[in-house]
Amino acid sequence: MTERETDGDQTLHGSLHSLRREYEEIRAIRRTRRIEMPEAQVKMNVRKASEKVSIIDVEGELTAFAEDVLMDAYNQASDGHVRAIILNFEGLEYMNSSGIGLLVTLLIRINREKQRLLTYGLSDHYRSIFQITRLDDAIAIHDSEEEAVRAANAM
Amino acid sequence: MTEASPQPSEKGEKEPRDAAFWAQRIERLEVSDVPEGAANVNVQGRREVGALQGFGKLWQKTYRVGLAGIETTPEEVVRVWKVHFPEFQPPNSRFYPSMAGVAPGEVLFISASVGGMPVYTGVRVIYADNKSYTVMTPEGHPEFGWNTFSAYQDDGVTVVQIQSLSRANDPIYELGFRIVGSTEQERIWTHVLKSLAAHFGVNEPVILEKVCIDPKVQ
Repeated sequence: MTERETDGDQTLHGSLHSLRREYEEIRAIRRTRRIEMPEAQVKMNVRKASEKVSIIDVEGELTAFAEDVLMDAYNQASDGHVRAIILNFEGLEYMNSSGIGLLVTLLIRINREKQRLLTYGLSDHYRSIFQITRLDDAIAIHDSEEEAVRAANAM
Repeated sequence: MTEASPQPSEKGEKEPRDAAFWAQRIERLEVSDVPEGAANVNVQGRREVGALQGFGKLWQKTYRVGLAGIETTPEEVVRVWKVHFPEFQPPNSRFYPSMAGVAPGEVLFISASVGGMPVYTGVRVIYADNKSYTVMTPEGHPEFGWNTFSAYQDDGVTVVQIQSLSRANDPIYELGFRIVGSTEQERIWTHVLKSLAAHFGVNEPVILEKVCIDPKVQ
């Protein structure tokens, strides 16, 4: 058995800089191992709702192939003094269990940065999936952008 | 990715393409028939719990083996895996699927031994398409989280993968995993991939990648 281990105790201590470095290391491992993933069928647009709140519009499919796109969007959304990230799922067309795993990873990173993760635009179907996977215990779900931004600004 | 025919929902919204692949939401696990040989312990009436619950460090472990030298597809590998799932497990980790097999919403019972201690539990299939399926743990399971079993094409080779995203249930299990459980668990999933590869006549090394997603206990 071949083993490649990254011990978070040493590498994952807080700063956004170190998190980005870790992310780049994982990408480098992927490139080394020649894992050729198909094109991600997802687009993410980052915009500022206020100085402290960023919104990521998710359009398309949230699967394992969306990892780079999602983490790039998060890095872009985290610039400055952002304290809350809002994921807009109005354009979400498909999500599998790997997509849920990506959201867990994102949530852990956001928590470590002492930021908050909120969502809006989830259809009944995707709300149900958040409940099945218990993501709704940790990620605030709102009905509209206005409501989510208001909640984020109140933090 | 499997295509499903979009169906209009009751609200008139177009049904998402993934709708058929996800299990229905339930409050607690309900088991009507227990397969022969299985023990309905830590399953009936338990709530499901994910990687955000639990106590220990959150680990993502990815096991891969390439089925080099043979012609097959991810769909065929996953089809075989679903049908023969229990046969690929080692003797110390027995899985008992329901009559419906590996399908969204179905419960798989587990009788295992970790560090010499018997463990009776189960998992529910929360997602299944023709290239992957995912199981989620209930309360009482040593770990909280998900395991995804999948296959994909990489440079003309079908690669088979198990990815777990989980953390120990409580401080005792966390200690147990650090001492012996984690290594034993890695042996189990390596065995499964070796057995699956052998079913297709392949003998290739299993590669394991471990990433500590969250080093904090909670």
